[in-house]
Amino acid sequence: MKKILIGGIGNVLLGDDGIGPYVARLLAAHFEFEEGVEVADLGTPALDLIDHFSANDAVILIDSVKIDDPEIPPGAVLLYRKADIMRQRPAVRMDPHSPTLIDAMLSAELFAVAPNDLLLVGIKSESLEATCNLSGPVQAALEEAIAEVLNELDRLGVAYSYRTIPEDPDIWWASEQQEESLVDI
Amino acid sequence: MANRITIDPITRIEGHLRIDVEVDNNAVSNAWASCTMWRGIENILKGRDPRDAWLFTQRFCGVCTTVHAMASVRSVEDALKLEVPINAQYIRNLILIAHALHDHIVHFYQLSALDWVDILQIPKADLSATTKLAESISPWTRNSREEFQAAQDRVKAVAASGQLGIFMNGYWGHPAMRLSPEVNLLAFTHYVQALEYQRKALQVVGILGSKTPHIQNLTVGGVANAIDLDSSTALNMDRLQMIRGLLEEVVQFVNQVYFVDVCAVAALYPEWFKIGKGVNNYLAVPDLPLDSAGTSYDLPGGYIMNGNIGGVHTFKTAADKDFRDGVSEDVAHAYYRGDKPLHPWKGKTDPAFTEWNADEKYSWVKAPRFNGAPMQVGPLAQVLIGYAQGHPLTKKYAGKAIETIGAVGHMQVTPGMLESTLGRHGARAIRAAMLGELAQKHLQLLTDNIAKGDYTVFNQPVFPSGEVEGVGTHEAPRGTLSHWVVVDGGKIKNYQAVVPSTWNASPRDASGAHGPYEASLLHTPLARPEEPLEVLRTVHSFDPCMACACHTFDPSGREIAKVKVL
Repeated sequence: MKKILIGGIGNVLLGDDGIGPYVARLLAAHFEFEEGVEVADLGTPALDLIDHFSANDAVILIDSVKIDDPEIPPGAVLLYRKADIMRQRPAVRMDPHSPTLIDAMLSAELFAVAPNDLLLVGIKSESLEATCNLSGPVQAALEEAIAEVLNELDRLGVAYSYRTIPEDPDIWWASEQQEESLVDI
Repeated sequence: MANRITIDPITRIEGHLRIDVEVDNNAVSNAWASCTMWRGIENILKGRDPRDAWLFTQRFCGVCTTVHAMASVRSVEDALKLEVPINAQYIRNLILIAHALHDHIVHFYQLSALDWVDILQIPKADLSATTKLAESISPWTRNSREEFQAAQDRVKAVAASGQLGIFMNGYWGHPAMRLSPEVNLLAFTHYVQALEYQRKALQVVGILGSKTPHIQNLTVGGVANAIDLDSSTALNMDRLQMIRGLLEEVVQFVNQVYFVDVCAVAALYPEWFKIGKGVNNYLAVPDLPLDSAGTSYDLPGGYIMNGNIGGVHTFKTAADKDFRDGVSEDVAHAYYRGDKPLHPWKGKTDPAFTEWNADEKYSWVKAPRFNGAPMQVGPLAQVLIGYAQGHPLTKKYAGKAIETIGAVGHMQVTPGMLESTLGRHGARAIRAAMLGELAQKHLQLLTDNIAKGDYTVFNQPVFPSGEVEGVGTHEAPRGTLSHWVVVDGGKIKNYQAVVPSTWNASPRDASGAHGPYEASLLHTPLARPEEPLEVLRTVHSFDPCMACACHTFDPSGREIAKVKVL
């Protein structure tokens, strides 16, 4: 049995940084997946990501991304594969707990536990202010981000089905207004 | 004329630590620690139900999740004067200990060891000599030639590929790197093995907290774990047995590997016992309560002023009146409005950003003070305070560390040498060994209490109609954490978190007194100012944690840290 992790990463208290946990919880509420697939709201896991990499054959992460290019609008969904991430330089760590997707991936590679397939579904953020809600453009990108995760599952040959009666996504941090606006997804 | 060096991991866009030092004659003559992001997350909590606050505070940081959850429920319980059933205390204590063991192991191996270990020396190591050396200092059964060979092969493959990967940014070959190839290989092998043992510690958190990284089992008034020896889904003897097994393995790794490695590295860099002392006021709160009301604890707390170990003061409880009354936050050099230090219950988070200015405001971190003084917090503070109070468990492992360092380095070691960069690593290892022993004790206490038929885990909170104030503390892996809550009519009116890295990364206050990072860097010699490895060693020894608030991925691929020499 293939083990697959769909992990939403980001801080739900910092505006658009919370996009990953939103996507993970919406996916789990609206879809059923074949055995071996885990959908998780990972928060901001830093080096604990190494453990998630080592435990899975394929990993799909959803995270906010920072891109300076003014041609790319907030809410744009961008895809990065393992090779794109492996090309990055690790950080000189002033603060040893800096966010470390790159470091975690490079470490996992060193320990020979990195998954063969890694996809990062990145959503360009508009605002990272302290709030529990998403900005308009990033909220509008939720469906596209979910579709990209499902595309990747198709590519990996993983079965899933739409729940006719969705479960409660339990987005406990969001305002009622925002939670209601997600019902139709 | 002094040079100014800025170390700023620029692409960590939101909220990281920046250090500026002035260098005169190859030694640090002045220093500034700053945090580059405003968080203000506390404002999100205003108006919410205090019973939910821990779910939010648990998201402050991705590394320190459980510690903020725990301090939050404790703050509300303190406000309500609500006792916690003894089973809940033991379960919470076990979660906190397991989290701390995970954290300390990760800190040393994944995050700091490579400040001292030169990866590029590893291919030169002689396997027989490494094995012999390892056998002479530890009974660890995985110190085998096979494991050393596998680790060495891994490094050789990386070196041969020309792609240094995770090692790309190390200061390899730096003149301040001085371990023999064999010691480098030994430490690197344990760096690989550490990954397995930190995971086992995390599994304990997962079993008791039902999930990691965000535990689900807390509640104001206790825990939500169902205890039932006849149920397969509740906390039963099988699960307790599983925890026992995991803890045994973790404790063995701590005692036979982590503790020994720290002592060995310390013995081989003895000059680092004289560097990095800094602020010698120390603060720690008591933790690991042994009764429902929180009147006795397994870890002692108190404070020491001006290095006067003999004059140690004791906190009797985790929310001691002296602590409650003594804490304030100063914003003279932080990007906030305010003209005088405020107590956290009266605290404001009112941002007023200006550009970084060495003489005026330069950090988003407030300057916490205790009775007006900057305080160093963390394992070193805890160990010194426990040692000064004659706490038997602290004395046992501090004594063992002093003996081991002395034996490896053929040197005389005194407790006062712990007040240094290496001492902070040593104290963390001492604390880990203490916690390992306490984990097994608290598991036994929990098991015995359950065996007596006591399954109680929760006392119902009742909120009064008026205003109440509470403080919840936790002696976290990085030191004293306190959450301060004001509840009015069952809703949160004010909430402030004074976190360990705020104490240690504090900027100057109105009097100009340096914070602990800043003070610890003064007089540090730099072999190559353009490669300030020595600065990183001292800053890392505090185990800073400020950036986990935000996890945005930056794909731009540019240089990730900026070391700027002006």
